Amino acid sequence: MNRPKRVNNKLIFGLAVVHYLERPGVVVGVTLVHGPATGATRLPGVQRRLRRTPGRLALATAVLVVLGLATGVAAAVGVRQRIDLVNGATARGGDLTVAVQRLYRALSDADATAAGAFLAGGVEPVALRERYQSDIADAGAALAVVSAGRAGGDRGDAAVAQITSDLPVYTGLVETARVYNRQGVPIGSAYLREASGLMRERLLPAVQTLYDATASELDDARGRAAAFPWFAVLLGLLTITALVVVQRYLARRTNRVFNLGLLAATAAAAALVVWLGVSAVLAAGRLDASREQGSTPVAQLVGVRVAALQARADEAHTLIARGNGAKFEEDYARAMENVTGRSGLAALSGADATTSSAVGAATGEAEKWLAAHQALRALDDGGQYTEAVAAAVGTGPDSTASIFNRFDEHLATAIEHNRQRFDQDVSRAAEALAGADLGIAVLAALLILGAALGIQRRLAEYR
Amino acid sequence: MRRRALALLTVLCLTGCTAARPLPDPRVDAAAPRPVDAQDPAAIPSAPAAAPASCDPRASLRPSGPLPAPGRMPAGSTMARIAERGRLVVGVDQNNYRFGYRDPGTGDLVGFEIDLAHEIARAIFGDPGKVLFRAVTTAEREQAVQSGAVDIVIRSMTMTCDRWQRVSFSTEYVSAGQAILVTKGSPIKNLQGLAGKKVCASTGSTSIRNIATKAPQALPVSAADALDCLVMLQQNQVDAVSGDDTILAGFAAQDPGTTVLPDRFTEEPYGMAMKKESTDLVRFVNAVLERLRADGTWARLHKTWLTALGSTPQPPAARYRD
Repeated sequence: MNRPKRVNNKLIFGLAVVHYLERPGVVVGVTLVHGPATGATRLPGVQRRLRRTPGRLALATAVLVVLGLATGVAAAVGVRQRIDLVNGATARGGDLTVAVQRLYRALSDADATAAGAFLAGGVEPVALRERYQSDIADAGAALAVVSAGRAGGDRGDAAVAQITSDLPVYTGLVETARVYNRQGVPIGSAYLREASGLMRERLLPAVQTLYDATASELDDARGRAAAFPWFAVLLGLLTITALVVVQRYLARRTNRVFNLGLLAATAAAAALVVWLGVSAVLAAGRLDASREQGSTPVAQLVGVRVAALQARADEAHTLIARGNGAKFEEDYARAMENVTGRSGLAALSGADATTSSAVGAATGEAEKWLAAHQALRALDDGGQYTEAVAAAVGTGPDSTASIFNRFDEHLATAIEHNRQRFDQDVSRAAEALAGADLGIAVLAALLILGAALGIQRRLAEYR
Repeated sequence: MRRRALALLTVLCLTGCTAARPLPDPRVDAAAPRPVDAQDPAAIPSAPAAAPASCDPRASLRPSGPLPAPGRMPAGSTMARIAERGRLVVGVDQNNYRFGYRDPGTGDLVGFEIDLAHEIARAIFGDPGKVLFRAVTTAEREQAVQSGAVDIVIRSMTMTCDRWQRVSFSTEYVSAGQAILVTKGSPIKNLQGLAGKKVCASTGSTSIRNIATKAPQALPVSAADALDCLVMLQQNQVDAVSGDDTILAGFAAQDPGTTVLPDRFTEEPYGMAMKKESTDLVRFVNAVLERLRADGTWARLHKTWLTALGSTPQPPAARYRD
């Protein structure tokens, strides 16, 4: 029962021993205070043994072995944890955020496409119908990934349940609208408005909640993976100090300046601490970069993309509402402000070259879109409804549909680029830590072996 | 000892295993979604300021002699200015099935009121196609006429003494009245049957005020658009829809599972609204309406578009105030 308790108080005990080796007279007080396991009655015996050099050396071996073991275990387990956090929680968290973003995009795109298809007339164009169907399929697939891969949390659970139960209701409303539209009766437009309201007031906010939950899980994992291993590094420094003290003691006692075993142990301990510290700092830097160059710009770009999709849906709804669409027109202006405004594309001005050029191209298309939208509104307000619809859903290069598609492609390029940078940074963080757990274990073993053998040889001289 | 074992287990768990967390037990609302901006219960709009007592809202201005030949409008008249412009601008509804709506198949505006506008264009230009339609909302109707944005509003607009103070109306072209639409087989048979039942009408309309005064036991619900009321009826969120029988007949035509109750509890004479000062245009339009009533065009249009309102009645008789 004695040994484990000593492990428990290893830091304090270690300090006491270091102290004792320096100034043998003081240890009694220290041991009395910090060694509750050592009974007061047994104390004189122990003290007697410790006054002799072999006893002290045996104690030093024990201390160094325990310290080396503690450092090795703390460092290796810590590194293993951080590797798992990088490969697991962070990489997985990144993939989950991507899945939630995919869900967000698919649902917004479904909303905009359903409106566009409705606008195109009684028999909607095959391409739009297929796009809507693939959006819904994509949303379902992304939802499956998200619900399977989430770590948990009440807010996220409620959001997943809400999305899962509302999505079929949404598609039902869209199909009802479609059937009525095919029959040529106006109530189809009322069903489509209701579907769009469900999408905007219940589904998309739930996805946003889910996104916030996933993003904070990712940040949390990243923060834990990037934390500096203070405990293990301090233990390592303490071990080095103990090694130095033991060597100085031995040098004084035996008149031999170097003890190869202890020197090797010191070198191993120093290498361990350096490796541990440097790998941690490197990994933290990469993880930081994965946020600044990866997830933050991706989140901003996805926000812009979703706002643009909303503006696209608003544009179609303004026309579908046939004169009653003032509210949708206001929504359009608000959504476009989120696309081009300070919180939108402009916020990405400091990005790298590839992102900047894609964002620049997207900004150009957004400006063209605003101009084309003004022209479209003028047509509709002037009574030229059919021409306005053609300007919105036509296949020519100047229709707002074509402009929007080009805009969306530029954004997709920028998002893909930043997503790759995220993956790169995370795998570089993993690289920085790679092998460190094994290496540290080996170094710790060397440390223990070196210390034990080094002292053992001196100890043998007393027998 | 036990504490250390636990600590070791925790460390191992952090590295390897993930403790199974309890399965989530979410509660999800199964209620059908509502149309955006639906109000249940509805806010009842306050009554307008009392209208002048001595007013016959149906009485318009008498035509001044026979119609001029198309393309030969009297010099200096409002019609001459319209002819010069080349198009008659008419404010219409695009969502009122059978009255004025976009045919989703063709994208064209069609309906009873649209055809009336074409007839007026025919009288001015000799060409029914020379019309520019502008969609105006219920709330925009008077303003569109007063500002000159449109020449005429033909959009199920009830002639009232209050409105006469700001715009001029043609003679009545359809006699509408507020009625009730229910699902076929509904226990609601008349206005009294609405007690304790949810009735939907469009937000801010006179219909919702009439329900509040004539069926105080009913529970009014309102939606942004009258069509949203039909959606709510189909989703069992309301028990009845109230509005002008002309609109309700359009609803019944869209959903054969619904029917308009025979009770009509208000009179809503529809007139075409024009600028107060353009009395020459009002007299001209009334002359066109006289012809449409006399030569069977009105009956033909009614038969084409409004069969859901029942067999074709006699056109509403013209009444004049001078």
